[in-house]
Amino acid sequence: MERPIYRARVERIFDHCADTRSLFLRTISGRLPPYSPGMFVSITIPLAQEVRVRPYTIATSPEDGEPFELCFNLVPNGPGAAWMFERRVGDLLDFTGPFGAFTIEHPPEREMVFIAEETAIAPIRPMIRRALSQPVVHPVHLLYAAQRPEHLLYRNELESLSKAHPRFGFELLVIEHDSLYQRLLEEVERRWVARDKDRSRHFFVCGIGPGVLKLRDVLRQAGYERRAVRYEQW
Amino acid sequence: MATIRVIYENGSPERVIEFDPAEAPFQHDGQPGSVLDVLLGHGIHLEHACGGNCACTTCHVIVKQGLNKLSEASEQEEDMLDRAPGLTPTSRLGCQAVIEDPDADIVVLVPRYTINQISESREG
Repeated sequence: MERPIYRARVERIFDHCADTRSLFLRTISGRLPPYSPGMFVSITIPLAQEVRVRPYTIATSPEDGEPFELCFNLVPNGPGAAWMFERRVGDLLDFTGPFGAFTIEHPPEREMVFIAEETAIAPIRPMIRRALSQPVVHPVHLLYAAQRPEHLLYRNELESLSKAHPRFGFELLVIEHDSLYQRLLEEVERRWVARDKDRSRHFFVCGIGPGVLKLRDVLRQAGYERRAVRYEQW
Repeated sequence: MATIRVIYENGSPERVIEFDPAEAPFQHDGQPGSVLDVLLGHGIHLEHACGGNCACTTCHVIVKQGLNKLSEASEQEEDMLDRAPGLTPTSRLGCQAVIEDPDADIVVLVPRYTINQISESREG
């Protein structure tokens, strides 16, 4: 199956902090296909020796239309991220997609818990907005952690959402790198494993490294349904 | 030498590769020695929208021969395969299925549809 390749222009750049940036892109060939919150596009990265594809989550909601936002950080020794950081307003990028299975199209009619680390808020952000757009009354929680305060992104937006939607609550945690997932595990166990026997909640976890899989395992072993614990490990 | 034969459901010509699993990785994406790694390293395209990181199903292959010569699927791979269009009992993600046996003869079918784009699935 021939996959269509889209071309987009960088319309705007926003620096969240020194090593975290958002590019706002507008397709100039065709139109961004429909997508579910949480999906990513595959950017073609033309490096010196080869061409590689790298996934970048769409951090905006489908309802927002274009330009769409890609939020990423400068990964040490990461050729893809370095190339993305070199893009300037007016530059063109080629991509395929959107793709992905870590999505919410129809939020479950259950309490929802979102857990994210640093730029992994990118898929979570449109997922929360989709969850809050539904006329349901179940609580929606966000547990959002980072090693440094400046890596907790979209704080003003989260505050606004919390004021507009009383059923949405979030907590921001600044935790040293080595302890980050241990602390998240402790929080998850305290709040949603040990506190009660309710196992109807749905979880959406996005982060970096094996800590994501440990969170998955703790929840599933605690009795949450396998498909009620969704995750994406970067 | 191990071999892998690639059959395309869309009718594209079959490809056969001989390789030594001990020489993995062959390139940068997917688990070293995985079906994806072997194919890309030998100039055969297999889609891998997430870069071989077990975050999509575009490298979904159906193993026709040699399933027992591949590494065991992790829970993460199984979770992702749940969402693959056309899932079969012998489905694997090419980026995760590692060929370790130096004498393995693997045959894989690349399905016509491998993706979870919204136009093909409304599940979220």
